[in-house]
Amino acid sequence: MTSRSKKIVFGVWNNQVLDNRNGLEKKDLFSSIADLHEFEPGNRITAIMGWDGFFVFDPDADVLDMVRSYMEVVQSESCGKCVPCQMGTKVAADILCSIADGNGREDDIVKLKQLCTVVKNGSMCELGHTSMNALSNFLKYYRDDLYKTVTTGKRHPRKTYHTKVTAPCIEACPERLDIPRYIHDIKTGRYRDSLSVIQEKNPLASVCGRVCVRFCEFSCRRGKLDDPVDIKHLKRFASDMEMDAAVKQQDLKVHLAPDAKRVAIIGAGPAGITAAYHLLLKGHHADIFEMMDEPGGWAAFGIPDYRLPREVLRSEAQLIQDMGAAIHYNQQLGRDFDLQTLRERGYEAIFIAIGCRLGAPMRIEGEEDQPAGYYHGVDFLKCVNRNEPIEIGDKIIVVGGGNVAMDCARSALRMGAGEVHLVYRRTRNEMPADYLEINEAEEEGVQYHFLTNPSRLIITDKVVTGVECITMEPGEPDESGRRRPVPVQGSEHIIDCDMVVPAIGQKVDLSSIGTESGLQTTQWDTIDADHETLQTGVDWIFAGGDCVTGPATLIEAMSAGFRVSNSIDQYFKEGIVTLTEDERMSFILRAVNKIDTDTLDRLGSGIDRITIPTRAVEERIDDFEEVEACICPEDALIEADRCLRCYRILTVATEI
Amino acid sequence: MKQELHTFTLTINGQTVDAAKGRTLLTVARENNIHIPTLCYHEKLRPLGSCRLCIVEVEGTPTPVSACTTPARPGMQVHTHTEFIENLRRETLKLIFLRHPLNCSACEINGYCQLQDLAHEYDISHVDLHSCGMKDLHFNSEPYCTPLITYHPRRCILCGRCAQACIEITEVGAINYKGRGAEAVIAPIKTSYTDPTKCVSCGECMAACPVHALTETMTPGKIKPWKTDRVRTTCTYCGCGCQIELNVMDNSVIGVTPADGGVNRGALCGKGRFGYGFINHTDRLTSPLIRTDGELKEVSWDTALDYIADQLVHILDTHGPDSIGGLSSARCTNEENYLFQKFMRSVIGTNNVDHCARL
Ligand SMILES: Cc1cc2nc3c(=O)[nH]c(=O)nc-3n(C[C@H](O)[C@H](O)[C@H](O)COP(=O)(O)OP(=O)(O)OC[C@H]3O[C@@H](n4cnc5c(N)ncnc54)[C@H](O)[C@@H]3O)c2cc1C
Ligand code: SF4
Ligand code: SF4
Ligand code: SF4
Ligand code: FES
Repeated sequence: MTSRSKKIVFGVWNNQVLDNRNGLEKKDLFSSIADLHEFEPGNRITAIMGWDGFFVFDPDADVLDMVRSYMEVVQSESCGKCVPCQMGTKVAADILCSIADGNGREDDIVKLKQLCTVVKNGSMCELGHTSMNALSNFLKYYRDDLYKTVTTGKRHPRKTYHTKVTAPCIEACPERLDIPRYIHDIKTGRYRDSLSVIQEKNPLASVCGRVCVRFCEFSCRRGKLDDPVDIKHLKRFASDMEMDAAVKQQDLKVHLAPDAKRVAIIGAGPAGITAAYHLLLKGHHADIFEMMDEPGGWAAFGIPDYRLPREVLRSEAQLIQDMGAAIHYNQQLGRDFDLQTLRERGYEAIFIAIGCRLGAPMRIEGEEDQPAGYYHGVDFLKCVNRNEPIEIGDKIIVVGGGNVAMDCARSALRMGAGEVHLVYRRTRNEMPADYLEINEAEEEGVQYHFLTNPSRLIITDKVVTGVECITMEPGEPDESGRRRPVPVQGSEHIIDCDMVVPAIGQKVDLSSIGTESGLQTTQWDTIDADHETLQTGVDWIFAGGDCVTGPATLIEAMSAGFRVSNSIDQYFKEGIVTLTEDERMSFILRAVNKIDTDTLDRLGSGIDRITIPTRAVEERIDDFEEVEACICPEDALIEADRCLRCYRILTVATEI
Repeated sequence: MKQELHTFTLTINGQTVDAAKGRTLLTVARENNIHIPTLCYHEKLRPLGSCRLCIVEVEGTPTPVSACTTPARPGMQVHTHTEFIENLRRETLKLIFLRHPLNCSACEINGYCQLQDLAHEYDISHVDLHSCGMKDLHFNSEPYCTPLITYHPRRCILCGRCAQACIEITEVGAINYKGRGAEAVIAPIKTSYTDPTKCVSCGECMAACPVHALTETMTPGKIKPWKTDRVRTTCTYCGCGCQIELNVMDNSVIGVTPADGGVNRGALCGKGRFGYGFINHTDRLTSPLIRTDGELKEVSWDTALDYIADQLVHILDTHGPDSIGGLSSARCTNEENYLFQKFMRSVIGTNNVDHCARL
């Protein structure tokens, strides 16, 4: 008997029961739940109720009132489409209400049981399907208490609960877009509503619809049945259908109060743009200072046009300017201004979103000499994307296995390179790049050299003529669980080339933040900020995006922009910055997910995942026109139909 | 050969049946004359899966599935009428009747209603609204998107056929679900930024409603469907030639419904569906009139046509063909319009001919 599970008075989940109500049961179940303590400092959790059961920590927690409240949330979330969920949960909520008000009758319990069966087995989507689990467990394990209430007419006063409605895909998305909702809107022909749902959080819908790494799809439950829902392309569909109109036809200007506070944002990358968008929506001035002459950060001068046409990005970046954000171009932190001068100019908070501007070196012999034909991946892409002159070699070696490496390789082909070789030190399956892209690049002719690592540049007359590589083999697993590649002794070999493009990572340009600002940096040479609130050690300075996380993804940077708007808003209003209610709920949710087996016990409607129309290799290889086309409305409907709407509701009762 | 690749077998209630890839369980069952009750399913629309009456059990899947939305897959073993399923259907139907009270005698489609048929099939004669424990429902009713149609939330079972018809048949999408849970309603919505609600008053939504929750605002008096005759004819509004049935009660037209077959394949536009008020209108001219001594007098068709012919010949002789002009109507067929211009050009001898749809 561990002391942990003693804390759970009663718990039921996935048909497993831990009942400590009479004496102590000898089971070590639900440990991640037992580890939960407080909802917020000084406020203990007394019970948790969710889509499969519930956990009671405090013997005095009123489970009946909680079930009633849970059922009311279900009713208020029910889309109203299918009969069992739409009507059944209403009847159940009303019956529970009358029991809790002291007017219950014995046959109410029979009716509730019947409703549990109808709603669970009859409902269309996962919301209805799971909505009765807590209630049926309550009826089963709290039967005696319930009968007592019914016979004595005991009244259960209404309490308030913390509630969260979410889905696995939503939780996987760093920005927590309401994915099932915008998919459902597409399914019912409401493209405009669909885009509005996306834009509630994400000002770069068309960009994400094209290049997001789609964390959501990797946790999509439809994948348990066949393939995940094609969320990314549905997002692109909604935005392609409506974006023009959304930008052009509306008056987007946000009217700010005369005494609105001013925030300076440094860097007009995805993080900066998103922060400006949300700060404006929250009623604050947002001024962006950007060292380049256009918005978008790496999405603009990193990601090539054949994946993300620049006009798409520009028109979306225009949106925040139409709303009232000012972008000051050619303004570099550390060169044209510093943090203190901004403060003096009246900015009461600053968000640093300068990303990782510099390419990381391979740290091999010959690199420091910067020979001709040697380009950092990001510098190479910047030249290509900005139409700056660059001499393309005939045989190019790209080093790395991520998105940047893929972009370099495929862009080089389009620029007319004869052969492109991609050298990566691990195996194909371990490449961080999107597998779809790995395949597309291969179709286009990129030649892969896996388990190969460069060891020396071969330089003749200050010009790169080859790369000495060494063969690797998988060794012991590292912290990430991947097997660390180790060199095979004596396997050095030379690959000839006239251009080498390392794309193995990027670094923050820490010199720009200066030393007098008081900002701390981390051992990874990133800016040190709280990972949840994004506040730095200096209370009015916040930082987020790649400059805090190291090179990551668009959507993570955007979620930082969204998150920081909450922090800065709270900082202005309360002077302090704390976790949000939603974050506290997510924390509990993750604990619940740890013990949830999450089996899918039903068939989905709809058929196989759609295929995306792409231009043929021979057609696309010579230009930078977009490779993928938008799906047609018919396909969008078919795909939207595949979503199971895995909505999950979590309610938490606390002491206060 | 190619066909065969895509066909496979499965069993429904123990009977082995053939199915093709892409078919739903419901279609396969119907092809094999196996009855599965449905309510929200409509042949012309994508399956909606909202009523949950077509649920069936598939072996190996713990939860029932709706036959109308589930694709048939090889080797499935489907059961359509187990006791468990039939009981679920009955309970689901009872839930439907909480929103749509069994008040058939007051309804215009009494005896012609799918929901009523289901009530019979499942022996539901009475659902006690008060003892079920549900509190009263309140609907936020707002005007429907066209004044020609009235929406009755208390009849609506939220099957969604209307909204789907508007999306799929009319391709407008002017209406959709609004609100949540039991108090949701069907209401006008804004579909896109470019065109906010654009109902074209075609009435396809109304036609798709299985329970008469959308009715014609102008319908005269109380309709008794069993006393109504249906007269098949061609719509007179334009040259399309939609096939319609005039619904006639007590010798007056009380509605228009599309007839089976025909070019319109069961669809109609707003004029054809709603614009029949002129038929019995008191202002309507029923015989030709000729003005004599400043007053319009009723005459027979023969007299009128003779008069027109005489006058045309007279004008032609005295003032020449170009003093006559002809304007024909968009309500005529192509053939009739062709004949008319031919008449003007070769018989009268003028090119002064035009058509109202060109204006
Ligand atoms: C080639 C490439 C391809 C990628 N492909 C994908 C992809 O397919 N999907 C995906 O999700 N992610 C992708 N990423 C990653 C993604 O682009 C980044 O994670 C994201 O752009 C980070 O956003 P950010 O706002 O934090 O920083 P950045 O995008 O780096 O933006 C920072 C901005 O700050 C400006 N700036 C920098 N220093 C200063 C200064 N001192 N003063 C003023 N302004 C300054 C920069 O000019 C820039 O505009 C890719 C990255 C690269 C390089
Ligand atoms: S099926 Fe739909 S709701 Fe479920 S995880 Fe996938 S996208 Fe989200
Ligand atoms: S009348 Fe026609 S356009 Fe209007 S809501 Fe009904 S189906 Fe849509
Ligand atoms: S109005 Fe008729 S067709 Fe539309 S949802 Fe209600 S019952 Fe169904
Ligand atoms: S007919 Fe299949 S759910 Fe209604």
